[in-house]
This record gives sequence, C-alpha cells and structure tokens, in this order.
Amino acid sequence: MNMEKYLDVINACRFCFMCRHLATLAAATGKEADTPRGHALIADRIRMDKAELSNPDYIRSIYQAELSGACRKHCVSSYNEVGLMLALRQDIVEAGLAPAAVSELAKEFMDVQFKVSGDGDMLYYPHPCIETHQPEIAKAFLSVVPNVKVVEGGDCGKVLQILGFVKESQAVAVRFQAAVKASGCKTIVVSNPAAYDFLKTDGAIDGITVLHSSEVLLKAQLGSAAKLGKLTFINSDFLRNYQDCHAPKELLAKLGCEVEGFGANCEDSYACGEGSMPGIRLFPELTRKMVAHVAGIAKRFQVEAIVTPSPFTKHALMTYAPELKVLAIEEVAAAAKL
Amino acid sequence: MLISRQSYSYEMLRSELTWVVGDDNVQTDCSEKLAHSIDYYWVPEVWHDRGLKPQTPTFIVHPGSAEEVAEILKIANTHKIPVTPWGGGSGSQGGALPMYGGICLDTKRLNKVLEIDPVSLTVTAEAGIIMQHLEWEVQKAGFSTMHFPASIACATLGGFIAHRGTGVLSTRYGKIEDMIMSMEVVTPTGEIINTLPVPRHASGPDLAQVFLGSEGTLGVVTKATMKIHPLPAVRKFHAYLFSDLHSGMVAGEKLMARRLAPSVIRLYDHASTISIIKRVLGIERKGAYLVFGFDGEEDIVDLQMKKAVAICEETAVEDLGTEGGQTWWDQRYKFYYPPYTFQMPQAFGTLDTVATFANIENVYWSMKDAVKEHCPEANYIGHFSHWYDWGCMLYARFIIEKPPQDAAVAVALYNRIWDAAIRAAIKNGGVINEHHGVGLKLGRIMRDLYGPAFNVLEGIKKTLDPNNIMNPGKMGFQGV
Ligand SMILES: Cc1cc2nc3c(=O)[nH]c(=O)nc-3n(C[C@H](O)[C@H](O)[C@H](O)COP(=O)(O)OP(=O)(O)OC[C@H]3O[C@@H](n4cnc5c(N)ncnc54)[C@H](O)[C@@H]3O)c2cc1C
Ligand code: SF4
Repeated sequence: MNMEKYLDVINACRFCFMCRHLATLAAATGKEADTPRGHALIADRIRMDKAELSNPDYIRSIYQAELSGACRKHCVSSYNEVGLMLALRQDIVEAGLAPAAVSELAKEFMDVQFKVSGDGDMLYYPHPCIETHQPEIAKAFLSVVPNVKVVEGGDCGKVLQILGFVKESQAVAVRFQAAVKASGCKTIVVSNPAAYDFLKTDGAIDGITVLHSSEVLLKAQLGSAAKLGKLTFINSDFLRNYQDCHAPKELLAKLGCEVEGFGANCEDSYACGEGSMPGIRLFPELTRKMVAHVAGIAKRFQVEAIVTPSPFTKHALMTYAPELKVLAIEEVAAAAKL
Repeated sequence: MLISRQSYSYEMLRSELTWVVGDDNVQTDCSEKLAHSIDYYWVPEVWHDRGLKPQTPTFIVHPGSAEEVAEILKIANTHKIPVTPWGGGSGSQGGALPMYGGICLDTKRLNKVLEIDPVSLTVTAEAGIIMQHLEWEVQKAGFSTMHFPASIACATLGGFIAHRGTGVLSTRYGKIEDMIMSMEVVTPTGEIINTLPVPRHASGPDLAQVFLGSEGTLGVVTKATMKIHPLPAVRKFHAYLFSDLHSGMVAGEKLMARRLAPSVIRLYDHASTISIIKRVLGIERKGAYLVFGFDGEEDIVDLQMKKAVAICEETAVEDLGTEGGQTWWDQRYKFYYPPYTFQMPQAFGTLDTVATFANIENVYWSMKDAVKEHCPEANYIGHFSHWYDWGCMLYARFIIEKPPQDAAVAVALYNRIWDAAIRAAIKNGGVINEHHGVGLKLGRIMRDLYGPAFNVLEGIKKTLDPNNIMNPGKMGFQGV
C-alpha cells in the first residue's frame, strides 16, 4: 500500500498533539479526527487491518482533510502528514473504493486538452483554481505583463493528484507537458499556487522553469499601490507551507502597500482549504465553516481588505463571505501600473 | 445507565442532543470515536498499538455555549448517562477517557476570546480555547498570559483549569490556579454559576478553588477570566553545570530563599543531562544542568541576574553562560516532539510530584529505588521544574525501552511501577501530583493521600452530582 511509505509519520503523529493548534479544518470543526493525530490514528487502524480501508467514516475523514501543510511546516521534524493523506487517497482509489462523488468529480478533470495562443518568450498559465471563473486575475496579470503566450484548457493534473487519481493525474500532466514543450517557451508562469506546486514536483517538466506570477511581477516596472489603503495578507498554503515561496510578500512590500498579516499569528493557515481544493465541491459545508472561521477573525480585527496570492482562497471567501473585500495579488499589482 | 447502539434510548438520546446543538455537532462516526478513545495516557496508546480497541464514547457532542452545556447535562441526568468533558485530550492521566462510554463533551467550540481589559489586565475567554490561540490573541493586544506549558499547542484553558496545570514561567507567574480571576461553571445538574469576580476576598471560602483541579467531576468550566501581563522589556537566561544533583539543588534553593523572584528554574539530574539535554539542546556534559531566567525591566533583571550568578558561581563546576540558558528557552518545546520525546515502543510515565525543599531529594531517591525494585531494566530520570518559596516539583520519569509485547502484561508492569513510585513519594512527603492531575491513573490512591479529608471531597461530589454523571470513576470518585 502507498501509505506504508509513511510509517514514520504514522508512528510519530498517532500519539502526538504538538501541532493541533494549526490543524486548519479542526480549528473550524473542533473535531479531533481532523488533526494529524486523528489522521494518523485512522491510518494506523488501516495499517493493522486492511479491511478498514473500506470503512466509509475513515474514507470521509481522509477526503475531508484540508491538507494545508501548516502542521508539517510547524513540526520540528517536518513529518509529512500531508503525504500520508495523499497516499491514503491513492490507496482508496487503487482499491476501487473511491466514493461516487469523488470519482465523478475526478472524471471532469481527466478529459482536458490544452492549447497555446499569443506571442512571447514566456508562457502564462492562468488556470485559477477548481472553479474556472476568475478572469479578473489573468486580466490583471496580462495588463502588467502583456507579451506572453497563454496556455489554457484546464487543470494540469493537480486536482486529480489531490483526489488520489495518481495515474490519471500523470496522464493529464503528460498532455500539459506536450503543450508547454510545443510552445517553445522555457519559462512558465502560473497564478495558481496549486499548479505552481505541481509543476515544481510531480508535474515538473524537464528544462522548464516555473515561476509564480508574483515572482514575475516583482521584476516588472510598477509604481505604488499604497492608494488601496490598508491590506491584510492571507498567504497561500502551497506557496508558504509547500514551496517556501515568499515572493508575494516581497511584491507587496515593493508596491509600498500598508500590509498586515491576517489573524494573530503567522503560522495558521487561513487559505480555507486551498491544499485540498476539490473539497469545495465535495464538502462545501466544510469550506463554508473554514470561511466562517476566517470571516470571524476578519471581523474581530476589523480587516478592511484582504489580499491573497491564492485564487482558490479568493474564490472561497467571496463565495461564502461576500461581505469581505478580497483582492488577488495580481490585482494589487495592476493597480500600481505606471 | 450504559447504552447500546441498537436501542430506543440510543436514538432518543441522539435526537435530544441534536435538538440542543444541531446535527453537525453530535458525532457518532468511527473516526471521531477513535480519536476520542485515546488521550495522552500510555495505557490506551499501548492498547491501540497492540491492536486492541480502547473504550469509545457513544456520542461526541460539541456545545457552543454554556446554555447548551447546561441542556446536555440535564439530558444526561434524565437518562443517567455519564458525561466526560474533553478539552484537547492532552491529559496524561486518562482523565478525558470515556471509561463508560456515554457522552464525550468536547469543549473546543467554546473557543472565543470575549474581552481583553487593558486597565485591570485581564482576559476573558471561553474555556475550550486552545491555550496557544489565547496567548496569540493576548499578545496581539500587547500582553501575555505568561502561561507557557509544553502543551500550549494542544491543551485548552478549561483543561488546564481542570488539572491545575502549569507553564514554564510558573515560579514568577504562578500555576493556573494563581492566574485565574473567576470562572463560569455549569454544575452537573445544569445550573450556570459564576465564582466571585476577584480572587482575593473574605466572602467565605474560595469557590473557584473547588472547581480548579476538579477534572470534570464537579461540572464543566465554560468561561474564565485570567490575569494578563505586559510583555517584559527583557527576558534573560543563564545556565550552569553542577557536579551532582545535590549541589545543583542547594543552589536552586538559595535562589528561592534569597527571594530573587526568577521566572523559571530548572534542574536536570545527571541521567537527564547526559541524555535529553544532549539530544535536544546539543549540550554534551556530565553532571547536573541548571538553568534559570528573569524577566521584566532591564535594570532590575540585570541586578537579579547578577545576584543569581554569584550564588551559582560558589559551587558550579562550569558556567554555561547566557547561551547555554537561552538555547534551553528557545528549544523548550522541542523536548515534546517526536523523535525527541519518549514514544512507543517505549513504555514511559511522568511521575510528577511536589514536596518541600526538606523532602524533595528524598522523594527523588525513594521513587528511583521503587522504580528499580519493580523494574530493574527501567531508566529513571528527573528534573526539577516549578520552584516555589518552600519547595519544588519533581518531574521524574521511568522509561522501559522494550516493554512486554502482551498488552496486559505491559500494563500490569506499568501500573505496578506507578503505584510503588507514587506511594514512595507520598511516604516521603510528596503528593500524588503537581500539575498533571489524578484522572483514572491515580484515583485509587486519593483516599490514602487525603485520609479522612477525602470524605469532604466525596461529600462535595455527591451534593453537586447526585446522579454521578460527571466523569465517573475519575479522581478517586465512584465509577458507574
Ligand atoms: C506534549 C505534552 C506536554 C505537556 N506539558 C504540560 C505542561 O507543561 N504543563 C501542564 O500543566 N500539563 C502538561 N501536559 C498535560 C496536559 O496538557 C494538561 O494536563 C492539560 O491541562 C490538559 O488539558 P486538555 O485541554 O488537553 O484536557 P483533557 O486532556 O481533554 O482533559 C483533562 C481533564 O480535564 C477535564 N476537562 C477538560 N476540559 C474541561 C472543562 N472545560 N471543564 C471541566 N473539565 C474539563 C477532562 O474531563 C479531564 O478530566 C502536557 C501534555 C502533553 C501531551
Ligand atoms: S506533524 Fe509533527 S507535530 Fe504534528 S502530529 Fe505529526 S509529529 Fe506531531
């Protein structure tokens, strides 16, 4: 089983409480099962009795995990609690035990074709997140960096990977790679941190450099965005906890924005489930709870406007807390255009 | 009454609970039951490890207000169902384990900071808040609770109140019972009561102290007001190495007797110094490692530090400097993360006790003898944390590298060591526990510890909880 690659994680986490304060979903649900300890206990039960892999309660918990990576980042030994959950999902899929809703959702992401248009040395991949209706992000980016080719078509394999459909994810990734290679560009720039993470790891393409949009915007000739007033920054889990990419914060500093970190600490994830994006379709009530948690904090600290490099987080917040003002980092950069 | 899943009363109870807290907040699924069947007590851990299934609760209920807690307790009284409060589940005494099934009342939805009063320097919060979340919010307002236990990340305010918990800066800022101003408690019969708003008064006995340390047996703490402090201008540390435990202890006693008011003192015995201090802090020395610290205004701290250093210089064999102390502070939680902490397959127990300076070393040695007598292959290590004007806490541990594979045999050995060691501590002037509480693990010793005074505690329990629904079988009180 794939999960057996993570026996060290199971042994470490099953009786450990040390990162529970950062368990993002647990902070919204209050549930013990939504912590790395809870996950590892489930995994351990399955390890001891393989028949438990078909336990519907365990399957639900495994798919509900929000995979923010905040606990792994906090952990003194960086135990890969995220990897364990992804391996369990893969085991569930490979055993033919994926719930119908998961399989149906996965199908939507298998049949994608990619096409490249425009002209330039760099390839821009605007695919924002699981819901593809955020044209304002690409528009903002392209208003600052217009001379690029654009690759479109859908998700490059990350969603399938998150759902545990690893073979299928790789098949999509191969198609995406072909489109990228055919474009002749050596650099691909993405707005979606999930895609950024995928293209830097399992979906990496030989000879192609992957940049996040904020890394490119950092080099652009821009003025000040201070006129936007005080902004509160919600980071992307994929950028901060998975990839250690700090370009968005550097960009905001360069743009002269008055920026404050969201919440009372810099370790919590407020990305509302970005790490397991398809969760918004499978368990919308959980995304709603995570958003309500974030909205509650925003209210308490009188947040005026939020800026985030995560299109998913923007989408989740605007869907479930429309009273909040949320800007993508590309939009802030566009406001600083000279 | 114990309830089986396939019964009318199960469904009736479930309906009633969902009417109070909503469908979403009553869980009966295997994932949540599994996670609530194991706390930080070694016995459920070893059972799980050996493929056994510890007792699970019948329902896990997440109330969102004191009123909801009150309704749940009234329902439990009607059906005579046990209720076990669960905060973070980080207690090491099995206190939160649902020994008889029934309702596990998980408090973590009670997680709001209600008010920070910058004039009186207090914070009021709901009791299910994770301590680290509370501390972060207080710090954002420019203050600190100064409560820094190693379980700050996982334990709740209510859990600390229930166990009379403590943090590393206890020597200056006190244990939780010194930090609490007042509390809101839901009694076992479902009444919502408040203790007096200030802790210093002459309006009869202090009711708050009845609930502090009551481990969920006398009610559910739903809200508390706590002291907060300005963030100190400086916090400084220093460490020394002593040739042996006794000379380190004498230095520590002098620091306290001179009333220098350190925020922390910690003395590690030789066995700890050569093992965990080396492994976690990278300080490789033989002897007894002593660290202390002061915080506050810089000129005052410097003076305190100067006097403390002079005391240690008299007998220490090596000055490990401020760096040797600062490292300890910076890494103070690292001791508790895998792989630095003790963990399965090891068997381990924290034989936490407290005694006067006159007795504490005898307690240390008598516990060591007891552990060795019952399990010669066990390692015994200890450090002295939480120092008071009159004595200090001993955080002794036994570790068995390869406990018996058979869970029953392993648990029997574990229980035998605990029993012998704690009884040895009591015989030499120690008490059962300083901050981890009694729970399921040590309940049977309470009557011996208190003598006839235990009848008073039992009387309070019977009066407040006539149907014995609140956490039965814990703290030495009657089970179901
Ligand atoms: C790694 C680690 C390090 C630790 N370090 C420390 C330390 O430095 N200092 C320290 O004091 N302890 C420490 N502990 C022990 C533990 O964190 C404390 O005992 C803590 O008080 C337990 O809080 P909890 O919220 O997890 O309570 P639980 O374990 O959930 O419950 C403990 C007891 O309190 C009762 N209870 C919980 N909430 C309430 C409530 N609201 N009202 C009434 N009863 C309630 C439960 O029924 C149970 O009897 C440590 C534990 C771990 C895992
Ligand atoms: S990730 Fe690290 S801190 Fe979190 S439960 Fe696992 S071992 Fe403990």
